[in-house]
Amino acid sequence: MASILYTLGAVNSKISRFLFVACLVVLFFAASINYLYSQENGDCLECHTDPSKVDVKVRVDHVTGEVEIVSMLVDEDAFHSSAHGGEDFYCIDCHADLEESEGEHNPNLQPVDCITFCNDDPGAEFLEGSHVKLMKENDVQPPTCKYCHAGVKSKRDVPKADDLYHRKDTIDKCGGCHEEFYYSYRNNLHGQVTALGHVDTDIATCVDCHGQHTILNSSDSESTLGADNVIETCSVCHPGANDNFVKHVAHPKYKNIAYYKSVFGAVKDIRKDPERISGIVKSPQMIITILFVVYVGILVMTFSGFGMHSVLTWLSTILDERKGKESKHDKR
Amino acid sequence: MTNDNHFLRFSLFHRFSHFLVIISFFGLVLTGMPLVFKDYGWAHWLYGVMGGYPTAGNIHRICALITFFAAFLHFAFLSVQTLVKKDRGIFWGPDSLLIQPKDLLNILGDVLWFFRLGSRPKYDRWIYWEKMEYLSLMWGTFVMASTGFVLWFPVQATSLVPAKLAAIIDLPSLALVAHRYEALLAAGFIFTIHFFHTHLLPENIPMDEAMFTGRISEEHMSHERGVYYERLKESGDLESLKVRPAGCGGSLFSKILGIPFLVIGLLMVGFMLSSLIISLVDMCC
Ligand code: HEC
Ligand code: HEC
Ligand code: HEC
Ligand code: HEC
Ligand code: HEC
Ligand code: HEC
Repeated sequence: MASILYTLGAVNSKISRFLFVACLVVLFFAASINYLYSQENGDCLECHTDPSKVDVKVRVDHVTGEVEIVSMLVDEDAFHSSAHGGEDFYCIDCHADLEESEGEHNPNLQPVDCITFCNDDPGAEFLEGSHVKLMKENDVQPPTCKYCHAGVKSKRDVPKADDLYHRKDTIDKCGGCHEEFYYSYRNNLHGQVTALGHVDTDIATCVDCHGQHTILNSSDSESTLGADNVIETCSVCHPGANDNFVKHVAHPKYKNIAYYKSVFGAVKDIRKDPERISGIVKSPQMIITILFVVYVGILVMTFSGFGMHSVLTWLSTILDERKGKESKHDKR
Repeated sequence: MTNDNHFLRFSLFHRFSHFLVIISFFGLVLTGMPLVFKDYGWAHWLYGVMGGYPTAGNIHRICALITFFAAFLHFAFLSVQTLVKKDRGIFWGPDSLLIQPKDLLNILGDVLWFFRLGSRPKYDRWIYWEKMEYLSLMWGTFVMASTGFVLWFPVQATSLVPAKLAAIIDLPSLALVAHRYEALLAAGFIFTIHFFHTHLLPENIPMDEAMFTGRISEEHMSHERGVYYERLKESGDLESLKVRPAGCGGSLFSKILGIPFLVIGLLMVGFMLSSLIISLVDMCC
């Protein structure tokens, strides 16, 4: 057979090409038949879009142990507009333990494994990064992929990167563990605009500045905010960003009581540890805080002073009018 | 004294400038304050009504330019007065808006009056708190405009800072703090103190129409600004300021124009103050 093929190929390459294509076609059909045997999305959706066949279910998250009430109904539109909603995703790709089953199935399935088959690269980037290492050192349970990438209704509907719900959700998720930085972020224009509901990709959320899976300390020159990259990071939205601009204080501390305590602490220890106070004074936070305190003083003084003046003027005018002493209306 | 005499207190030019300031000030407050009170529902609603991001921001910038134009008009007026008309009275004397020795005496007199130790002093053309309002408006406009431009063009503004200082002076952050708290000061001041002193005093309630119709009645003038009135009467200038009283239409028009602004301002103060109290309580408890 091989020799015949060889001679045919040598004599007429057209025939060999035909044979090659024919082989491909046969292989393709074999593959599709394979699929016909396994479940199509439609089979799953027959039950999972029918409220009379499926209901809600109480489930315990296998990692965090949280008890959640989830609907077994699949919102097809939400799923199809999710990151995994394309034509080439089958239910059983993810719900792998249903590969062989038909019709009814075991009510308790294995949780979907996000990492092993598809997302091993981004998964590793996150799981082996220094952020997760730091969490473990601080005895913080690292979040699961599904925690950060959950859709509105179901963890199944993994949102795309520019999904507005996801961008807002990410701020809340980062902020949940980094409260101090969350509040200081909210104190700056980026955070104010996002707080008012505009979270599009033209305004900076935590991950636009700090990176997504690889999050390094800002003092690390390789981090997105490090000396090597920070100009590039800000330039995405601020064309022409320069060395001065990127020294911007993204997390001002003037509303953080702990900051004032640390300043007073440093002043107390000025003999023992002069380095500490000079570090605080040389930081750009200092002048911002002074300006803030001055403004609070001006506000308090102005409103108490003029407020008192208003009230006294009001009272005195009324008293005068009552006496009919000054008012010319009464004289006439 | 006949009751129907009216005098011109504000020329059309000044009324027009004041109108520009009102329009732009409300635009600025309505689009700016939501950012400060971002944690509260009313701010979200208001920001949405103003068009959200970036529309609200664009309205804010347009209104800022209108304020700028009003300030330009004012300085043009001052220049014409001093350079062309050689009128030094705007810097010194009873017609000046700068604080004069007489004002300090009036303040003292008012304090005595508050404690019922004397009768109310008679004021000249401008009462001392009006001068303070004017001067704080000048200062406020300067601060808001300069910090506003830094926030509008943060990249360009920071390149003006010498590289050595840039590590301790973060211009946009300073601008943001000054812009925010100066705005709270200005909005709070206008919507409470200014409204109170000019419009909501028992003698003027609900509003003093002088800045809209430009006119003040003889009775009101001699009562509110006795020294000015006597001064003009003596010099004989009073006659030349005499105008027809504002017609019914003019008065109605200024009420229709003015009272909604008054209401919006007071509502804003209500929202701002209650939000402030809530956040202070939150912080302490
Ligand atoms: C005959 C109807 C039916 C069909 C067909 C069906 N399911 Fe289900 N499925 C159910 C019901 C009912 C439940 C809820 C079980 C419960 O409440 O414990 C369920 C639950 C699930 C769950 C949640 C399991 C858990 O551990 O919480 C998943 C995931 C799921 N189905 C996926 C699929 C997939 C994928 C397919 C297609 C291969 C499919 N189902 C086909 C009826 C069906
Ligand atoms: C990209 C992977 C992926 C695909 C494709 C996928 N799912 Fe899921 N599905 C998940 C994940 C993740 C969950 C969350 C529960 C878990 O962790 O096991 C889930 C949960 C579910 C649940 C339980 C309800 C819930 O919100 O937790 C049902 C029912 C379900 N899927 C049905 C389907 C059906 C039907 C299809 C095909 C149309 C499908 N899934 C396709 C990943 C997927
Ligand atoms: C702390 C929250 C967080 C966790 C945990 C997390 N991610 Fe992400 N991931 C993000 C953010 C934020 C983005 C950027 C926005 C986006 O693409 O959704 C992202 C992006 C991605 C992307 C798209 C990358 C690209 O280049 O477009 C993939 C794939 C991904 N993550 C997979 C995973 C997997 C797998 C895990 C579990 C090991 C995981 N993520 C855990 C926050 C997280
Ligand atoms: C405009 C860009 C920007 C945004 C948006 C931003 N940060 Fe930062 N972040 C910085 C910079 C710059 C630093 C380093 C200087 C400092 O500490 O103020 C920093 C520092 C930090 C640090 C301290 C560790 C370090 O790397 O220095 C944490 C934690 C942090 N940010 C978390 C957050 C979180 C959480 C959010 C979202 C709620 C957020 N950041 C939003 C720019 C940003
Ligand atoms: C489950 C909690 C958790 C979540 C969610 C989380 N972090 Fe962290 N993060 C930590 C812990 C713990 C540390 C280390 C100690 C610290 O700095 O607070 C850390 C450290 C950091 C640091 C400093 C890194 C360094 O090398 O010093 C930054 C920056 C940071 N996180 C940003 C983020 C951003 C941005 C997000 C959202 C995508 C996020 N974190 C989500 C817990 C979390
Ligand atoms: C995803 C886009 C985006 C990124 C990335 C971003 N910004 Fe911004 N930034 C904005 C927007 C939008 C505004 C508001 C512009 C406006 O409407 O005035 C803004 C405003 C500012 C302002 C002026 C207001 C203020 O808070 O003082 C500064 C300064 C600033 N950004 C600094 C930075 C720096 C430094 C970085 C890099 C660490 C950065 N930004 C990264 C979008 C971004």
